Amino acid sequence: MNLAVKTQGLRKEFALGWFGGRLLAVEGLDMEVKRGEVFGLLGPNGSGKSTAMKMILGLLRPTEGRAEVCGYRAGTIHARRQIGFLPENPYFPNFLSGVELVRYYGKLSGMGGSKLEARIEELMELVRLGREAGKRPLRTYSKGMLQRAGLAGALVGDPEVLMLDEPTAGVDPAGSREIRDLILELRGRGKTVIFSSHLLEQVEDVADRVIILHRGKKLREGRLEDLLSHKGEWQVRMQGIADGDRRELRAWLENRGVRIVSESAPRERLEDYFLRSLPQEVRK
Amino acid sequence: MIGCLRRLLAVAGNTFLEAVRQKVFAVLLLFGLVIVGGANYFTEFSFQEQFKFLKDLGYASIGLTGLLIGLLGAAQLIPGEIEKRTILTALCRPLRRWEFIWGKYLGLLFLLGLMVGIMATAVWAVLRWKEGQLIASEGSDPAVADLIRGEARDPRMLQAVFLIGVKLAVVAAMAVFFSTIATSTTFVIAMTLMVYLIGHLQSVAREQWLESGETARWWVKSFLVVVSLLIPDFNLYNLIDEIVAGNAVHWRATLEVAGYSVVYIFVLLVAATVAFEGRDI
Repeated sequence: MNLAVKTQGLRKEFALGWFGGRLLAVEGLDMEVKRGEVFGLLGPNGSGKSTAMKMILGLLRPTEGRAEVCGYRAGTIHARRQIGFLPENPYFPNFLSGVELVRYYGKLSGMGGSKLEARIEELMELVRLGREAGKRPLRTYSKGMLQRAGLAGALVGDPEVLMLDEPTAGVDPAGSREIRDLILELRGRGKTVIFSSHLLEQVEDVADRVIILHRGKKLREGRLEDLLSHKGEWQVRMQGIADGDRRELRAWLENRGVRIVSESAPRERLEDYFLRSLPQEVRK
Repeated sequence: MIGCLRRLLAVAGNTFLEAVRQKVFAVLLLFGLVIVGGANYFTEFSFQEQFKFLKDLGYASIGLTGLLIGLLGAAQLIPGEIEKRTILTALCRPLRRWEFIWGKYLGLLFLLGLMVGIMATAVWAVLRWKEGQLIASEGSDPAVADLIRGEARDPRMLQAVFLIGVKLAVVAAMAVFFSTIATSTTFVIAMTLMVYLIGHLQSVAREQWLESGETARWWVKSFLVVVSLLIPDFNLYNLIDEIVAGNAVHWRATLEVAGYSVVYIFVLLVAATVAFEGRDI
């Protein structure tokens, strides 16, 4: 099977000081992410999402089990060549400018010369950080700009898999929408995106499949369509129906033994309404 | 190979850049330069004593400023990156951990090299300034003028500065080692300073216990052997005092100390790499 990430029986325990016992962060995690998929890692705080991500990235060594990235054992240089990572908070050297950050990460990936410079220009355009913004120190960036700069840094080595830990945490709705659009654009380019988020609406918008973790264990896993669709129910949205016709339609359905579960005028999502209310240039 | 070199230099360059963009390093350098410049105003002594004083204070300032900059810089290397979590975004790249450690050390060496270079130039400038002043006031006799020139343009200054640089490179390697096992910057500074002091005192202890003619117990001997193996003997760098005192110090002796230092630096960096290799981030 063409897998981007695979974990088998992944387990991680942390020692709590010399006499503090051990904390179990992840237990027996089996997970498979296909290439080109957008995969959501869900779970409350402390559920083991970040620990699982760090084991896949090779920053933590599993106590038991193994993780693979594109067929390579997690943590090896080959595996890390396939992965780009955006951490939850902007953990970047803030004395650098946006362009310097991407250049630094490019060099850490073994890149250099005109190839790297061309890649930096391409990525700054992709994440919509203009020439002027790119030259400013990161400490002057907003959270949304930092995340976009970080995303450019994660993409610099042209990785197959992108791991995004809470990419929209603390970002305003417009910035959050931009990051969502970027994830969709990356999927369009054939990248595999694994991300964690507390904003379930956003996960629903972009994820193909999700896994739900709780106290380090997998509770559920599957395609969103399979997990969320109500079997045996049907939903229709219509425009231009008169009140009388609506009542008649309802009665006709009930006469035929159909149970009406809900009936209401559709509402716009607050995020869409908010973004629509902003001036055009801000939305862009 | 080119990729490896790029990664090493990227880590080194970033470490160097981070340090030079921080005000604290500029302030420390300024502090050192003020001491060197201020020494020029002590004019109560004979010209030989004035030059000795200038050199003594100049080399001590380079050593002290370098020690402070090295400690602060090294303390931030790993624990600082872990505290700020910037290490996460670096180590998830195709970067080997030894490349990270050695790159960090290289960056620290660039920083110390720049600092020692600037301060040594300042000492040299002050010596030349003093030469001009003293020749104007006391150099009417050509023999005295030659003596003044000889003191001011003493080529052994190169040897002294080289030894200070080598000593700082060993201290930096010690700090890098402690930074790979530490969880806080305070721990790195405290441990490095402690080992630095032991390194200075160990030869005194050895002389006291082993060479005083008294019979030392086996465990004292064993302890001293272990300490002398684990911790570099910083008294070896006292060749600098010989240079200041005007005594001849052969380059061969200087290079032997440098060789001894390179061995310690290598061992410390290998130990740091081993310690860091298995560490969870």
